Amino acid sequence: MDPECARLLPALCAVLADPRQPVADDTCLEKLLDWFKAVTGAGSSLLLLQEHPCLVELLFHVLKPQDLSSRILSFTLRLAGIFAAQENCFQFLQGDPSLFVASAAGQLLVRVLDLALRGPAEGHVCPQAWDWPACARKVVCHLEDCLRSEAAPRVTQALHVLTTTFGHCHGLWTQGLWARLSPLVARLLEKDPVPAPHALVDLLLSVARSSVLSSDPGLWETAAQALSRLSPTQAGPLAAGILKLQDCPQALRIQAFRILLQPLAHVLEAAAQGPGAPRLLEGAAGDLMAVDTFPPSRSACVGLLCSALAHLELLQPLPQRPSPWPQAPLLAAAVTILRFCNGSAAPSSEAGSRLCTMLVGCVRVQRAALDFLGVLSQGLGPQELVTQVFAILLEYLVSPDSSPTVLKKAFQATLRWLLSSATPPGCCDLEPYAQLVLGELLAVLQKRLCSPCWEVRDSGLEFLTQMTRRWGGQGSFRQALLGSEVPELTRQLLQDPESYVRASAVAAVGQLSSWGLLAAPSRPEHPDVPQKTPLEELLLVLTTDSEGFPRRAVMRVFTEWLRDGYADVAKDPEQSVAPVLQAASRDLDWEVRVQGLELALVFLEQLLGPLGPSTAAPPGALTQALQALCRVQLFEFALRSLFDCDRPVAQKSCDLLLFLKAKATPSGSQQEVGDGPNVASVEAALRRWQAGEQGQPLGELAPETVLAVLRSMDLEALRDTLAESSDHVERSPQSLLQDMLATVGVLGDNEADCY
Amino acid sequence: MPEIRVTPLGAGQDVGRSCILVSIAGKNVMLDCGMHMGFSDDRRFPDFSYITRSGRLTDFLDCVIISHFHLDHCGALPYFSEMVGYDGPIYMTQPTQAICPILLEDYRKIAVDKKGEANFFTSQMIKDCMKKVVAVHLHQTVQVDDELEIKAYYAGHVLGAAMFQIKVGSESVVYTGDYNMTPDRHLGAAWIDKCRPNLLITESTYATTIRDSKRCRERDFLKKVHETVERGGKVLIPVFALGRAQELCILLETFWERMDLKAPIYFSTGLTEKANHYYKLFIPWTNQKIRKTFVQRNMFEFKHIKAFDRAFADSPGPMVVFATPGMLHAGQSLQIFRKWAGNEKNMVIMPGYCVQGTVGHKILSGQRKLEMEGRQVLEVKMQVEYMSFSAHADAKGIMQLVGQAEPENVLLVHGEAKKMEFLKQKIEQEFRVNCYMPANGETVTLPTSPSIPVGISLGLLKREMAQGLLPDAKKPRLLHGTLIMKDSNFRLVSSEQALKELGLAEHQLRFTCRVHLHDTRKEQEMAMRVYSHLKSVLKDHCVQHLPDGSVTVESILVQAAAHSEDPGTKVLLVSWTYQDEELGSYLTSLLKKGLPQAS
Repeated sequence: MDPECARLLPALCAVLADPRQPVADDTCLEKLLDWFKAVTGAGSSLLLLQEHPCLVELLFHVLKPQDLSSRILSFTLRLAGIFAAQENCFQFLQGDPSLFVASAAGQLLVRVLDLALRGPAEGHVCPQAWDWPACARKVVCHLEDCLRSEAAPRVTQALHVLTTTFGHCHGLWTQGLWARLSPLVARLLEKDPVPAPHALVDLLLSVARSSVLSSDPGLWETAAQALSRLSPTQAGPLAAGILKLQDCPQALRIQAFRILLQPLAHVLEAAAQGPGAPRLLEGAAGDLMAVDTFPPSRSACVGLLCSALAHLELLQPLPQRPSPWPQAPLLAAAVTILRFCNGSAAPSSEAGSRLCTMLVGCVRVQRAALDFLGVLSQGLGPQELVTQVFAILLEYLVSPDSSPTVLKKAFQATLRWLLSSATPPGCCDLEPYAQLVLGELLAVLQKRLCSPCWEVRDSGLEFLTQMTRRWGGQGSFRQALLGSEVPELTRQLLQDPESYVRASAVAAVGQLSSWGLLAAPSRPEHPDVPQKTPLEELLLVLTTDSEGFPRRAVMRVFTEWLRDGYADVAKDPEQSVAPVLQAASRDLDWEVRVQGLELALVFLEQLLGPLGPSTAAPPGALTQALQALCRVQLFEFALRSLFDCDRPVAQKSCDLLLFLKAKATPSGSQQEVGDGPNVASVEAALRRWQAGEQGQPLGELAPETVLAVLRSMDLEALRDTLAESSDHVERSPQSLLQDMLATVGVLGDNEADCY
Repeated sequence: MPEIRVTPLGAGQDVGRSCILVSIAGKNVMLDCGMHMGFSDDRRFPDFSYITRSGRLTDFLDCVIISHFHLDHCGALPYFSEMVGYDGPIYMTQPTQAICPILLEDYRKIAVDKKGEANFFTSQMIKDCMKKVVAVHLHQTVQVDDELEIKAYYAGHVLGAAMFQIKVGSESVVYTGDYNMTPDRHLGAAWIDKCRPNLLITESTYATTIRDSKRCRERDFLKKVHETVERGGKVLIPVFALGRAQELCILLETFWERMDLKAPIYFSTGLTEKANHYYKLFIPWTNQKIRKTFVQRNMFEFKHIKAFDRAFADSPGPMVVFATPGMLHAGQSLQIFRKWAGNEKNMVIMPGYCVQGTVGHKILSGQRKLEMEGRQVLEVKMQVEYMSFSAHADAKGIMQLVGQAEPENVLLVHGEAKKMEFLKQKIEQEFRVNCYMPANGETVTLPTSPSIPVGISLGLLKREMAQGLLPDAKKPRLLHGTLIMKDSNFRLVSSEQALKELGLAEHQLRFTCRVHLHDTRKEQEMAMRVYSHLKSVLKDHCVQHLPDGSVTVESILVQAAAHSEDPGTKVLLVSWTYQDEELGSYLTSLLKKGLPQAS
């Protein structure tokens, strides 16, 4: 601890212990804890407490029953927890009504247990209860009482403490603890209804994930019991958690997977038109399911279906997912659910029509099913099913009933299926299905780009950009796109009233034109007015758009164009870059200025080569490059940016100048520092800028002056300063203590204010 | 037991990040999703782990409602929806939907600008989050699903701020968000109808304050600005992009016009145009005066307020500058502050609260020597003023709203514990309702008695009518029947009809009881004595002595028998049907007292 902080600490402790002194800003306490964590992490807590008796006094003071705010109480408990991580000398309490206090107390209990049992456990395989120190026995008795309690909050509390314990502590002693408490946990499952089901699931999963405990066969029995005792909705998270485990009994995995599959199996059964229809669950369980285990209320049914879809979605990409993975029936189920939702299914069974009434128009299920369908694109499917997938996706894209969020998901799922259809490496041809739907897709896109909802126009543009990025060079795609009105509509959306849409249009125009897909539209009414090139159009957006998003999007496009050697830019990079840099340097949005400097850096790399082992550029190339840089007025932009009030701008420009300096100074050789009148005037300007004045522009600069200025500046030191956050001084521990002490007494009516 | 549960994750006894979970009739709603600007890590957001422990948020929450665009009410939204993974609907009013992304973007830029901010959301995330928003109109009932509906009411405070009523069946909760019960220069006063919710969740920022007249505060502000400008000083007003800044702009603009002042007023980063745009677009949300005069004069088109350029800060002479951000923690406002702080002629006016870790916080707590980067010390000689222009209801206003809505219970949030305690007592005394003030993470549970509609069969009603009593709305009447629950409908029908509908046969249920009496006489004699005793006591009932020796009173049957083991004891077997339950119990207790001695 630095001496200034040590000096302020006693006064601060006195303030904290005084209930009449409110702590104005609750973040202060959190930040204090951060600091104590850092301090104890660096040295001994015992030493800290010995050197600063005020801390011990504070802890003892808080233990006395008195009118303390729950904030101070939970702060002190957590502080005690930090110390207890090393030392054992504290008491606790746990029944406070505030969950945060209770949670802090819970964390402290875990620390105390860990500390008390870690020691005795050393050398023993598994310490027996009679070996445990008194304080650990007391904690365990308390937990046992809670688990036996009829009051649900007490049970929940105990389960939370145990979950944290087994989640954080992996000593052998945890085996003894679990052996002692697991019968009580199992007994909870026999109650009707099962108390604190969520907390119970958390505990079982935390035990199952513990490397020390997962070998206990009793655990798996309890988990299996939980799966059968809990309702399908409650059991879902447990089932999903079990399936994510690396190692667990196969029978349990099968049971867990069944729970997740059941709702989908039910959907398939309900929709089945004949005996040959795909089924998810065969045999008794499947039939039993079909009888009717779906909840009767619509919202419960929707909830169950959505959570099953979500769990399966998360499971699908995992290597430990159940094998065999029923890809085809799952695909069929997802498609069927979507059909139920949009009313295109005509089920003949009674269960089917009931489901249909429940699901029709349900946006929540539509979203979940589309997400799931998208994830399923990572696996294969029979051709007939894949055709059905594209068909249902198209139905959703076309339907006027699809809400904007559903449409967005439909676009995303479609893109995933399109991408997966072209999987062979090196081949970016469209699959036959994709070829088939391409025409229809573009027709939908054409319509959606004219939607009155900005969300829809924007999602449409994002979809177009991604499609073009992938297939811009592919013959049938180009042909279909050029035959549609999509490129022209995209160009028009550069003038959209919504700035988000304009930004997406900029990205789409950038992508289309880099593939040569933005053909100049015919203008029969004004044949003699020359059509603006995409480059000019985007420059217009950069200089005139009132919002930051479109301008930032323009900068990204230009940078990409320059980097990828896009034809229009590659013809004459200097000519193309100069106006962009000029516009960016004057932009009010600092992010545009940063991107301007990024563009400049790419430009520099193209002139001088990337930074590598043979860093310095050959003298001839260097002079030429410097002249070019002077012509595009890059130096004025970069040097001014060095003192920009927005830190990332300064940092970027520092990086850029350092790059240039490395290129200009061959390693080992010390060039003569120029000291002409020009250098002096530049340095004077730099000093003015540093002081925050704006001053006159630098005007024309000679390459030698630039080099001399670069050499005379300590850019490395500046880079280190800029790497810190702009408020690092205000955020230091010393500043925190000063602030907390400064607010004492001066708080009037201001303290409870806000915006 | 049906109940309403409320758990604040933020704004429980504090004014940090508002985020309140409400469970009502099985539906879960999140009210506001605010951010705390005092942290630079995940703690700036509410601790969602309390709800994400089991399963996904989307499966748990039915919707999120945002009351207004201030960041302490909506700042965590992109984090919540794009990083924690909430995928459901988000409801807010149209102006909030339009302005919210601007403020989020503004704050994102400040966070990135400052650097050292971990795990912050991106522009793309803000956009994706805004795509999940459903805009609502005032007083429009929005059906979230079959059961859950919400409705917005005008709240004043800032453009687009709303109170929300959340309703499931007959149970309802009203959440006020931040509100103002007195109109100001550009907004009207909050209003709600007498909706009598089960629970009113109200902010309580000024729980103990009766705010001094706003005119005084405004005069004070103008006087200070005027004096500074007159003596050639510069005035810096750090603000957030949109919101109260516009109120101050109108104030200064009107004053400049009236006093014919020449000193320039600037507003940084082109935000005035953007503000103008939105205030024009949402003119119906402003107050009556602005709406009326809008055609002749648009109050948001300022003659005296110009866009600020970085070079202006060095210009000599007086000026007033509104600059972002509002807490002097980065960017332009901080740069200007550093330039002007050393001159005692200048002044900085902080119109809002500043969190710890900012220069704003330091100067408001009276620190005048500020350590700057590189061990430099900045001596603050300029005047520092704090003038709150936040528009919250004061204690009187809060009481007024409670009176207006007539809730069954009140719950206080967004305020300080000590002050809440005072207001809680006041509300409980005046309105005789329960008032709660949970801390963050603490759950308040309110039992409710939902009314369930029950249909009554015509047959049953006709039978009741036949008994001669005409229905009277003021006098509740007891009606006997059988309740049938079918297809989630409830119907009360006569028992005969129920039997018929359900295809059941009628069974008779009899209660039996044994009464032991110490008596050596024979059973027949015993029965006779029982008969005469009952005959004398139950004069209004039909008491009979049957040939088989048993005694009946209405449907009640009494038989005497010998005790199997004790010849000195006799056993009376009493049995009755459930229709005569009352009489049966009475008779049993009567017999238990014993028979009178034979005379």
